Amino acid sequence: MIAQLLLTLMLFTILLYATMTYRQAPIIGLLTVIAASWGLYFVWFPSHATRLAELVGINRGVDLILYTWVVISLIMLLNLHLKMRAQLELITLLARKIAIADALRASEPRPKDGTVPLTPSRPGDERVWT
Amino acid sequence: MERPASTDVWVIVAAYREAKVIANVVADVKRTGHHVVVVDDGSPDQTAERAAQAGAVVIRHPINLGQGAALQTGLDYALAQGANVLVTFDADGQHRAADIAGLIDALVRDGADFALGSRFLGSAVNLPAQRRLLLKAAVWFTRLTTGLSITDSHNGLRAMTRHGASHIHLRQNRMAHASEILHQIAVSGLKYVETPVTIHYSAYSLAKGQTLFDALLIILDLFARRLHR
Repeated sequence: MIAQLLLTLMLFTILLYATMTYRQAPIIGLLTVIAASWGLYFVWFPSHATRLAELVGINRGVDLILYTWVVISLIMLLNLHLKMRAQLELITLLARKIAIADALRASEPRPKDGTVPLTPSRPGDERVWT
Repeated sequence: MERPASTDVWVIVAAYREAKVIANVVADVKRTGHHVVVVDDGSPDQTAERAAQAGAVVIRHPINLGQGAALQTGLDYALAQGANVLVTFDADGQHRAADIAGLIDALVRDGADFALGSRFLGSAVNLPAQRRLLLKAAVWFTRLTTGLSITDSHNGLRAMTRHGASHIHLRQNRMAHASEILHQIAVSGLKYVETPVTIHYSAYSLAKGQTLFDALLIILDLFARRLHR
């Protein structure tokens, strides 16, 4: 019973996470909801899990629940990857703004000695003169 | 579209670790009289310095982001500078600046918003058989996914009007941007034409080219992009 309650709590947390994810990644959100709901059902009806497990050749219902957990973990990993991609898009926008602003600043009138100013975008760079 | 003046055309060159060849590429393009903007994608070598010395406007990404990100930076910059025609051009020396005129002619003559260079309508010098096969597979994939009737899908030599460029918003930072551009052209519904160009493969450009593994990564990138907003 304690294990069932703990698993239920964890799976409900995942359901909450899935609904939060749905807005950014609908497919991931939907897959997570399905997998978590599936897990919840088997936690509370283990005999059904056993029957289904035998049907698909896994033998034990507990194993089926473990497999479900693995599937949920993989979906969440995929979601983390997608979040990293979204973060990279934000970093790209920021880097682009900086690069263009630097280039515009560098296109201001050159010093009298005729040197070509380059932009100091890289960390630690001072203004580069060639 | 009326024929643009040379100075209305901006040629965008995305470059990463191209210090060996970038000066020649910039000098070649500068002879056309067009503006040249090199987007240095955080190269650790002298790419930016050599491009600036050769007369290009240089924009430097503070970190390496990828060719797609660099091209979008160049497009944004050229649009902000009032460009009427924008040309994308590879930094590894495999394109010919002489082909730019043909692309612009196609925009003017056909009233198109995009002129896409095609090595299979023109010629591909020293193209290895394995690379040819990979490119043909990419064309087949692009036709299937975008519905565009094209003969070359990963050619970095292309021209677009200001109106066309305003419809391009690349979010694929790395090599998948070539497919993304075609997808966005298809979605925009704007007119495109293909123009014969010559691609000259050298040992240098082949070493920087894409492999079968890169092609698989591109497909994964395109798939992952569809999973989130």
